[in-house]
Amino acid sequence: MDRRAFLKTAGMGSIAFAAGCSAKPEKTLYSLVKAPDDMVTGKEAWYAGTCRECPAGCGVLAKQREGRVIKLEGNPLHPVNRGTLCMRGQAALQAVYNPDRLLRPQLKTDEGWKEISFTEAEQLLGRKAAAAGKGNGRTRLMSEVVGAPMQALLTDLAYEWRTGDPVYFEPLSHESLRAAHRNVLGEDALPTYHLDQADLLVSFGADFLETWLSPVEYARRFKEMHAIDAGHKGIFVHLSPYQSLTAANADRWHCIRPDSEATLLKALIKYVLEKGDDRMLPGKLRKPLAEAVADADLDRAAAVAGIHPAALAHLADRLLTAERPLILGGGCGTAGASSDATEMAALLLNLVLDPQLSRIDFSRPQNLGKAASRTAVNALVDDLVAGQIQLLLIHNCNPVHTLSRGAEIARALDEGEGFTVCFSNFMDDTAAHADLVFPVQMALETWDAYDGKIGELSLSQPAMGKRHAMPAFGDVILKTAFRDPAAGDYQAWLLDWLGKQAGVNEMGTWIDAVQAGGLFRDAPPKPKSVSLQRGLSTALEALSEAKPPAATAADADTLTLATAPSIRFFDGRGANRSWLCEVPDPLTKVAWQSPVTLHPEAMNRIGVAQGDVVRLHSETADLEAPVYASEAIHPAMALMTMGQGHSAYGRYAEGVGGNPIALLTGDTSASGQPLTLAPLKAIAATGRRIKLAHTDGSRTQYGRKIAVSTTIGEDAAHGHAKGDGHAAGGHEAGLTMETFPLTLPLPEGYDRKRDIYPVHEHEGYRWGMIVDLDRCIGCGACATACYAENNIGIVGEERIIEGREMAWLRIERYLDPHDPSRITFFPLMCQHCDNAPCESVCPVYAPHHSKEGLNNQIYNRCIGTRFCAQNCPYKVRRFNWFEWQWPTPLEEQLNPNVTVRTKGVMEKCSFCIQRIKVAHGHAKDEDRRIHDGEIQPACVQTCPTGALVFGDLKDRQSRVRQMVKDPRAYQAMGYLNIKPAVIYLKKVLQEI
Amino acid sequence: MAELTYASIDNTVIDTLAPPRRTYWATVALLFAGILLGATCWGYQIFRGIGVAGQNNPVHWGTYLINFVFWVGIAHSGTLISAILHLFRAGWRNPIARAAETMTVFAVCTAGLYPFIHLGRVWLVYYMLPIPNQRTLWPNFTSPLMFDVVAISTYLTVSSLFWYTGMLPDLATIRDRSEGLRKKIFSILSLGWTGEYELWRHYTRGYLFFAALATPLVISVHSVVSWDFALGIVPGWHTTIFAPYFVAGAIHSGLAMVLTLMIPLRKMFHYEAIITDRVLESVAKTIIFTGLIVGFAYGTEVFIAWYSRNPVEMESFYWRAFGDYSLEYWIMVSCNTIVPLLLLFKRVRTHIPTLFVISLFVNVGMWYERFVIIIGSVAHDFLPHAWGLYSPTLIEYGIMIGSFCLFFFLFVLFCKHLPSVSMTEMKETLHEGESHAG
Repeated sequence: MDRRAFLKTAGMGSIAFAAGCSAKPEKTLYSLVKAPDDMVTGKEAWYAGTCRECPAGCGVLAKQREGRVIKLEGNPLHPVNRGTLCMRGQAALQAVYNPDRLLRPQLKTDEGWKEISFTEAEQLLGRKAAAAGKGNGRTRLMSEVVGAPMQALLTDLAYEWRTGDPVYFEPLSHESLRAAHRNVLGEDALPTYHLDQADLLVSFGADFLETWLSPVEYARRFKEMHAIDAGHKGIFVHLSPYQSLTAANADRWHCIRPDSEATLLKALIKYVLEKGDDRMLPGKLRKPLAEAVADADLDRAAAVAGIHPAALAHLADRLLTAERPLILGGGCGTAGASSDATEMAALLLNLVLDPQLSRIDFSRPQNLGKAASRTAVNALVDDLVAGQIQLLLIHNCNPVHTLSRGAEIARALDEGEGFTVCFSNFMDDTAAHADLVFPVQMALETWDAYDGKIGELSLSQPAMGKRHAMPAFGDVILKTAFRDPAAGDYQAWLLDWLGKQAGVNEMGTWIDAVQAGGLFRDAPPKPKSVSLQRGLSTALEALSEAKPPAATAADADTLTLATAPSIRFFDGRGANRSWLCEVPDPLTKVAWQSPVTLHPEAMNRIGVAQGDVVRLHSETADLEAPVYASEAIHPAMALMTMGQGHSAYGRYAEGVGGNPIALLTGDTSASGQPLTLAPLKAIAATGRRIKLAHTDGSRTQYGRKIAVSTTIGEDAAHGHAKGDGHAAGGHEAGLTMETFPLTLPLPEGYDRKRDIYPVHEHEGYRWGMIVDLDRCIGCGACATACYAENNIGIVGEERIIEGREMAWLRIERYLDPHDPSRITFFPLMCQHCDNAPCESVCPVYAPHHSKEGLNNQIYNRCIGTRFCAQNCPYKVRRFNWFEWQWPTPLEEQLNPNVTVRTKGVMEKCSFCIQRIKVAHGHAKDEDRRIHDGEIQPACVQTCPTGALVFGDLKDRQSRVRQMVKDPRAYQAMGYLNIKPAVIYLKKVLQEI
Repeated sequence: MAELTYASIDNTVIDTLAPPRRTYWATVALLFAGILLGATCWGYQIFRGIGVAGQNNPVHWGTYLINFVFWVGIAHSGTLISAILHLFRAGWRNPIARAAETMTVFAVCTAGLYPFIHLGRVWLVYYMLPIPNQRTLWPNFTSPLMFDVVAISTYLTVSSLFWYTGMLPDLATIRDRSEGLRKKIFSILSLGWTGEYELWRHYTRGYLFFAALATPLVISVHSVVSWDFALGIVPGWHTTIFAPYFVAGAIHSGLAMVLTLMIPLRKMFHYEAIITDRVLESVAKTIIFTGLIVGFAYGTEVFIAWYSRNPVEMESFYWRAFGDYSLEYWIMVSCNTIVPLLLLFKRVRTHIPTLFVISLFVNVGMWYERFVIIIGSVAHDFLPHAWGLYSPTLIEYGIMIGSFCLFFFLFVLFCKHLPSVSMTEMKETLHEGESHAG
């Protein structure tokens, strides 16, 4: 090679190298010529709306940045949830930004799905409706429960298209409960239970912290009654065949035989009738009631239910001595053959204990009470199967998944002559069998009003303009169904309705309502007197006929399967939200999978170990699922949560977990309550084994000072551990894990005898957090909010098995080794230690102690030695093992104030430093200090029970500093003398 | 050693440098392929992320750190043998000193790669260098990892220089006996060594001082490596015994590796007259001693954990012995302390194949010792909810194979191209008489 050739080659090479490595610039950058008024770059705008992830209808505030909603938070003005959300509410955004969301109508053709325009779809719908003609019931409508204005519209539609009554289908309905109220009180409704006013709460399976009626509201009400306050704490007893999250929060959980609730309740009624004669029970009720429960007996009931007679007797006495007792009936997961009787008996027991029913409030009943009974749903399905339906409209329901007759429905949809339109944003199990899938706007994108409690209107508005071309459901109806629609579009219809029905006639009222998130007015008073109904006699008859379950069920080889509603997926609609899949189940700590929970006795009988795949065989279907071992379940029972196992519903749901609903018989009680207990014909090992994707390393805490509990008065008597290891006189005992004092991350927390390093002087603030374990119910809302706020990567099932989950905040659940039914939930995030072990070992100062006490992780500096994580005693640091993916458009949800981390970098909880910085900005603008409570990290903000408090530990008046004085205050693993800034308050246990 | 003469020593050693056979080059090629395999695995890991290896939360350190400590440990006996035993005038070290020193240099090189392989963002490794820069970054000298950077690089520098210095007269001998290109190369390498009296006087003094200088490093390097763990607060790491414990363990493994390497070398290069059975026996006796120290350390750890009454410590050590990694623990205990006790029997330690097998056992045992410490401690530390297990992935095995191949590749190249026994020191032994030959 000569010199010239060499220079040429070298020159070309280096140019090619330089050109090849340059980042590809964005070709076009547009700025908004005319930005909307409330869109300021870098500043968020908040829009009130309504969460429609379950029928409770909590109020949300949508945080919008640069035209995209990036976070949902509870609306503090909303009477249902008062500013907090559950994990499903937090994850509602992932429906809007779901990568598998349909953006155009899909028409089923012989060559598969064909995308058509919205106009074509509307015309097609109009033609099909016309073709279905005028015959009654040839067009039918099945919808999720909707708000009052939409109900009005659907009623009109029903008249126009002769659909008969719209079938409002909610898989988790409460027919037995409604029937009890109907028959006894003449109120066909689901009331509000004032748990907060009770001093003794007894639940026979109602999972009010998870899915029952209005879980966020009841979590709050429950902790108002059950959190320690001035040395007092209400008592909560739970009796159910398996331990739900709600049961895990009880002072005492009694494991009872499946379907034995009514027997127990009858015995309790009899006991209270006999012993508590001073109660003002109407005579016309007392006598027939006494007759109805005449054959009941406490000891016998205890034997049937399999609980200790003394425990039941004690509970009965408690009922008599309690001043404000409240009984809750069964939940959706434990509805057996005597479900009607259970609810009836629970109501009657309430009535016997408190004839005024002062803690049951019918003034604002749940909208869920308008759901069709399962009998009506089944009738619709029968018509469908019989081929009598020419046009079926399905709006936001997934009967193929949520009904045990799902396979039958799918077949009927596939093979029947009729035309089915699924108003769904996803190709879900039902949509996959429909003829036309018609995506419509979601709650965050549309104008609507929803009254989770009837009459309490909560508004929805498009929080980010019109992001997609899809119309609102109401628009489609108005356009296609009426020749001369009452309003041009649904928004106009809504305004018209609000004007007529809710008195919103002026612009001012309207704007106020939109800003507040709804029309929250005091409920009209309801007469307190309880009128007993004609139905009572039939009710009592049913009660007296309620038979105890076959007493030998436990000894037989067959198990009863319970299908529990899931706190994560509700009835299954949450299954395509990756956050909900990733955040583990609160009790099993298993993510992504849906194992079947078995008692060790049952496992021995079948001959399986945890992780073995078993085949559940019922009369209707077979299902394979891995086994999860738990002692917190009746030995005659197998438990699976519903919600997963979709045949279609996008990448996060399809084929993930199993769907136990298919195993149910589909039977209903007399009132139309779907039964969720099913006898299994057989359960057998398959010989296969899988690894459970569980995030816990141990179920107990090995006697360590981590999740600590106490009893009432114990700590007040002893105060903080006084010993500082240098007690005067004689023998100097060393400090142990137990006796090590509380060492605040402040100068006063340092002791020259113990600390060789100098005190950290903090400038202005020293941020810290209080976690009240007595208030934590373990629901996981905080963990989900953290995912949403901090752009945390989703790793998936396989990586969780490998131990690579990225949660910055996890809820550790520790079982008491002496009584595994006692559980302490322990939320754990970075403790922002003053003597942080992570800081000293990093060679490049990536973990850095800020002047406000925060332990900052500087991603740009991190080179990934992972020493910090090794040295962190709490193991809260998370490493980016890979580059995590946000399939489009999920990346639009990312918080622009938080860095998206790349592979090879360590990350962890930052106390939501982005929120702290915003507060600093505001304070500086106004030339003031940051107010106490002004900063709320995402976890604190969403906690339904107020278990988390954030603030400045340096400020002696701040709430956190005041709470540090609580004798229950301690630091987890505080004896390491690392001075964590998260102070825990012990859980208060009560023996009952 | 009766037949040994100056000439026979020279002849035996220089005979090993004769042009190698095909099988030799086949071996070299095979080892090189192994290195490529490791490099490919590493490249894939850089591309995809550390997740392709088996580390997780809580076990953030896996085989990369195990192998790092393992190779640093191997690197120990070289300097021990050449420096400390030189100062003690233990003549039996002379025949094996060169190979041991070479082993040291290559083992440090191999070990030095692992921190790079281990890093999440290896392309930013220069952040650890204390160079003034515009990023206002400065390394954190309180981090044991910074100690490591200093200690390992010092050790590599000193041991390479020591190795080279010791080789100078031998290089000159080879120069004198060769022709052509080889003569040219060795002329440069031998730095003009003439063998004059003055040169020898300065050289022996200088070598002695070098030995004295290198001696503290034997202690310091592995002490510093042990502080990677001891300065952490993890139960099972946070003990004061760690520095001597690691040093003893390092020497233990280093001596075993010397045997593993020397026994085949002796056979192949017909070194029986130079590396006598008594030399190997002396190494074996030292292994008994280091094995006992290591065993004592195991016992002390367990005792202190019990004596502390700290539930975390107690549980940690109970779990080590009887938990998920109990098999690894008992491999460690038996291979490192029980198996070497067999060497107490003269028939065992003089039976060369048995000695070879035992040396392999100790190597395996010492690898597992690092496994038990590095994996076992964090897998089961403070918060039971965070406990988790670890197992290596194929990528890690690939890199591990690559690193072993790299070591043996370098060693095999060395054997045929440089004098694998110190002719100079052998002649000294001959001169000073049998008494120093062990």
